[in-house]
Amino acid sequence: MNKELEKSFVEQLQKHQNIVHKVCRLYTNNADAHNDLFQEITIQLWRAYPKFRGDAKFSTWMYRVGLNTAITLYRKSKRSINTQAFDTVQFRIKAEEYDDTEEQQLKLLYQAVHQLNDIEKALVLLYLEDKDYREISETLGITEVNARVKMNRVKKKLRTILNP
Amino acid sequence: MDELELLKKDWKQNENQFESFSDSDIYKMSHKKSSTIVKTLFYISMAELVFWVLINFLPFVLSDRMKAQLEEISHSWIYIGLNILSYAVIVAFVYLLWKAHNAISVTDNARKLMKSILKTRKIIKYYVLYNLFIALISIPVSLYFTINEHPEISEKLTNATSSQLIVMSLISIGITAVFLLLIWLFYKLIYGILIKRLTRNYNELKKLEV
Repeated sequence: MNKELEKSFVEQLQKHQNIVHKVCRLYTNNADAHNDLFQEITIQLWRAYPKFRGDAKFSTWMYRVGLNTAITLYRKSKRSINTQAFDTVQFRIKAEEYDDTEEQQLKLLYQAVHQLNDIEKALVLLYLEDKDYREISETLGITEVNARVKMNRVKKKLRTILNP
Repeated sequence: MDELELLKKDWKQNENQFESFSDSDIYKMSHKKSSTIVKTLFYISMAELVFWVLINFLPFVLSDRMKAQLEEISHSWIYIGLNILSYAVIVAFVYLLWKAHNAISVTDNARKLMKSILKTRKIIKYYVLYNLFIALISIPVSLYFTINEHPEISEKLTNATSSQLIVMSLISIGITAVFLLLIWLFYKLIYGILIKRLTRNYNELKKLEV
């Protein structure tokens, strides 16, 4: 493929790579799995790049390809731990372990987010990235109203996991 | 404070904590071999096509007598018609698969992407069902012709009592059904494992839209 195209792709991805890292952070739980998923998203981005047109922001386009790869396309390699196994290992957060300090609360929050299912994680990621409901709905293929409804349910679910 | 707001604050603060890949790392990564569910489905569908085509050719390879017999009837219109039909079906499936496969785009929204992948899988499913149906028909038919071709068997059959005949037919139908069921379960298992996560996520999104 065109060398110029390749160069501009690598430059843009290098600049915006944190988006891919954030997707990997939510969908994997160890460094090897993180890097595996990062690589697969990079491959998918590169393949889709020739069709990328400037009418969408490069970062918006990256969220979409990144999430699609993580949620749908990616087949976990042998060395990555299955996130499903992780999901089923219910972290029982006992009341006495619950410390009110912010750091402790954050730790529990991250654990709680990892317990969410793939779609809920996508909503959380887009929310954390300050995406509006229009973009969330367009990325996932649901209506804006339903994106809001689902987001409220996710918040409630997180609260329940944190305060069983 | 809202739990998610607290998380967001921390998320933003830690934005640059990730290991940063260099241009050359990214270049190398983008040329690595991909491993996705779409690719696996594609390989399985190709194997599927080749497998059933080979099964159809098996009689030619395995038995000289069969070959001779088939050559004998190769000029009959029914035989030619059936052959044309079976090739047309294969061509149609290849075309549908190719079309469905091309429609899969990573830049679609999540729901549409899942839907296109599930559509590809459905086409493969129909192809398998079609072949199982053909097998279901052709096994008893070939059995009938085999019996007719062998005078010693047909003689035995004419001497058999009606209850013996019924038991024999039931056994042969049973064996055929069990055989086809096993193949079907095998497919269910392969695809079940492969698309379990995809189906779950698709249903999750679909549930919202009801």
